[in-house]
Amino acid sequence: MDIYEKLSDEEIVEHIRKSDRELYSIIIKRYQEKLLRYANNLIKNEDKSRDAVQESFIKAFINLESFNTKKKFSSWIYRIVHNETLNIIKKYKLETPLLEDWDFADEENIEENFDKNDTKEKVEKCLKQLPLIYIEPLSLYYIDEKSHEEISDILKIPMGTVATRINRAKKIMKNICQKN
Amino acid sequence: MSKELKDIENNVMNQIHQGKIKIKPKLYFILGSILTFIGLVSTIITSIFMVGLIRFLFRTNYGWRAQYRLEQIFSEFPFWIILIAIIGLALGIWLISKYDFSYKINHYVLIVGFILAIIVAGFIIDEMGVNDILMRHNPMKNMMRNHILPGYR
Repeated sequence: MDIYEKLSDEEIVEHIRKSDRELYSIIIKRYQEKLLRYANNLIKNEDKSRDAVQESFIKAFINLESFNTKKKFSSWIYRIVHNETLNIIKKYKLETPLLEDWDFADEENIEENFDKNDTKEKVEKCLKQLPLIYIEPLSLYYIDEKSHEEISDILKIPMGTVATRINRAKKIMKNICQKN
Repeated sequence: MSKELKDIENNVMNQIHQGKIKIKPKLYFILGSILTFIGLVSTIITSIFMVGLIRFLFRTNYGWRAQYRLEQIFSEFPFWIILIAIIGLALGIWLISKYDFSYKINHYVLIVGFILAIIVAGFIIDEMGVNDILMRHNPMKNMMRNHILPGYR
């Protein structure tokens, strides 16, 4: 097992597909914590997040042959968790409503106020109050440290939309964080 | 490792060991992709043909001047062709949105682009006379006679 732990996700997937199903536990170990955190940021309920992540690992295993090993496994598994959490949000109507008192009037340079290093803490603190469409890219960008391209692949939205949503989310978050 | 994380790993791995979950064979996904592609191509061809046919019917049966004879058009025009064309377009848009590249294109651009491409292709095919040629031969000739334009020769 130790030899396999040094392999990339995509290489492990190739081995699992060939015969060694046991190696799937390495994949689970690598991703469960990150995915649980991502799901919880979206759902805001630990039990339902755990169900979503577990169900996603099962779906990923069943559909492992549909994964293209030339692409990033992380984007693929995040996408599955994303879909699963959205299903739960729709099923239980868990979405955070859009706040009434936020605005985009402030045109100052947001980047100056939101340095990526210290923003991770701010994001974790304020994330729960944001609408879902902003939680998704913000959580992936700051907490999971995904690139715009990876976020685009996970959320299935164009890269330009990812950048716009992150920028808007920063503005809304700044507003919320300052009020708190 | 926290208990809840250990639970996820154990639950998933137990189901794998017990054979409750199995990897679907590659063939399943290959067949799925082929069928989706065939579906997309079929809806595109159907929609293009229907657009060409609608134009052809207006030209041959009523003439461009007679477009104003709305009453005759409403009473005789086979509107189910338009319905098929619309269903074909909607199906085509839905199928194309299933492809991986589609999310990188703005959704509205994709829909408008698809509809425009079908209409333009329908016009071109009709201009080239492909519809006329098809209509003069079976099985299209029979279909025209029996279902689309009774009395068509």
